[in-house]
Amino acid sequence: MKYFVSVIDDETGSGTEEEMAAIDAFNDRLMAEGHWVFAAGLGGPTTATVIDNRNGDAVFTDGPFVESKEYLAGFWIVEAPDLDAALKLAADGSRSCNRRVEVRPFL
Amino acid sequence: MVAALTRRFGDLDIAEDAAAEAFATAVARWPVDGVPPNPGAWLTTTGNHKAIDRIRRENKRNDKQTEARMLFHDAAFDPPGVIDDDRLRLIFTCCHPALAMEARVALTLRMVGGLTVPEIARAFLVQESAMGRRITRAKAKIKAARIPYRVPSAEDLPARVSGVLAVLYLVFNEGYLASGPDTDPVRHDLTAEAIRLTRLIRALLPEDGEVAGLLALMLLTEARRTARVSASGELVPLDEQDRGAWDAALIVEGQRLVRERLATGAAPGRYQILAAINAVHTSARDTRNTDWSQVVALYDQLIRLDPSPIVALNRAIAVAELDGPKVALAAVDELEDDLAGYHAYHATRAHLLRQLGRSQEARAAYDRAIELAGNTAETAYLTRRRDQLA
Repeated sequence: MKYFVSVIDDETGSGTEEEMAAIDAFNDRLMAEGHWVFAAGLGGPTTATVIDNRNGDAVFTDGPFVESKEYLAGFWIVEAPDLDAALKLAADGSRSCNRRVEVRPFL
Repeated sequence: MVAALTRRFGDLDIAEDAAAEAFATAVARWPVDGVPPNPGAWLTTTGNHKAIDRIRRENKRNDKQTEARMLFHDAAFDPPGVIDDDRLRLIFTCCHPALAMEARVALTLRMVGGLTVPEIARAFLVQESAMGRRITRAKAKIKAARIPYRVPSAEDLPARVSGVLAVLYLVFNEGYLASGPDTDPVRHDLTAEAIRLTRLIRALLPEDGEVAGLLALMLLTEARRTARVSASGELVPLDEQDRGAWDAALIVEGQRLVRERLATGAAPGRYQILAAINAVHTSARDTRNTDWSQVVALYDQLIRLDPSPIVALNRAIAVAELDGPKVALAAVDELEDDLAGYHAYHATRAHLLRQLGRSQEARAAYDRAIELAGNTAETAYLTRRRDQLA
């Protein structure tokens, strides 16, 4: 079972050096214990471009689709047997990146 | 039975429907065929068949694990130990911290307590359709997010048990001080169900001090139920209650639990301390005879565990008996920022101001308390008290 662990941030600027080191250590552990699927940090909301090609005539718009103080700063995709295991990993992830995270199951 | 079917099929909906179908079949067949020699086993076997039928019908379960569990699950019924384990698993699933508190309460009453959706909707003054949706959403989350169906590991157990107890205490309190203008002031159906489920958990986790503490707290509170509301539907405060009407059997049982916990010498949690406070009250002939210094000492202990303004308010009420209304009022007034929206804060102030002869301020405090109180018996009591003021 795969879970999407999104990192919620409400300030601009990436993690501190300490946070990055903690994230690296956490990632190493995910790999060693077989939970790792993928992880990445994302550019801030100001770097976003919205595309609407529903009519076959693509329109590109600057800026994030949802304007809010909180935004998705990065994510992990982890492999875990059930929600309890995923929540444990997410709790350690939140600690390592020093931000709130949200867990959602893949369909 | 629902618990056993859930373990086997890993799906609350299937388990619930299969159990219902098995009972329906029993109702139709037993009067004709006679009651089978082992009715419990008959129901379990029938429930299993119904569940397998449904899964085959819907043909949506072909993962090997489910198949294997269906085919190799031995015997027609489980020994009692396994059934207990199943119930415990079900309780932990229903009270999982990933579910909203109101969903945990509803799901526990539905799946563990066996209450119907309309019954639960009535209990919490929610539309039946809304309650149905709440339960459906919770079940869907359990399934989609794969909330596990098992007893948590030893390291997680204390935190998860306290989550289960919080659900049961909430059910009990809603019964004991029912809210809403058209409900009975005390909902015995809810208090009884909360006690029944807490007894069940106590049987499953006999070593857990807080489980014993919550059961004792509920029993000692429930013991005073009939004396707590007058014939005219008005709340009767502790010092005016007819103590002869208290349920002696419940008091004996509750106090025995408190003594058992004290004898272990283990540091008590909040439910055990609250139970001990109620044990002091229920062992006194009247309020004057009550060991108030013991009550205040127990509240001091509770505040160290739970420094919430509500605990501080209850401590102040005990302080009033020990050190007088003036000292207590000073302590209560400090809580205004936190408790200005809480009816008991204003009711306590009103009571203390009245004792101090500050009638006008007392009247204003009663007005505010009446405005905020949700319980009909409490409103009636506060109104009479206010109208007694000159």
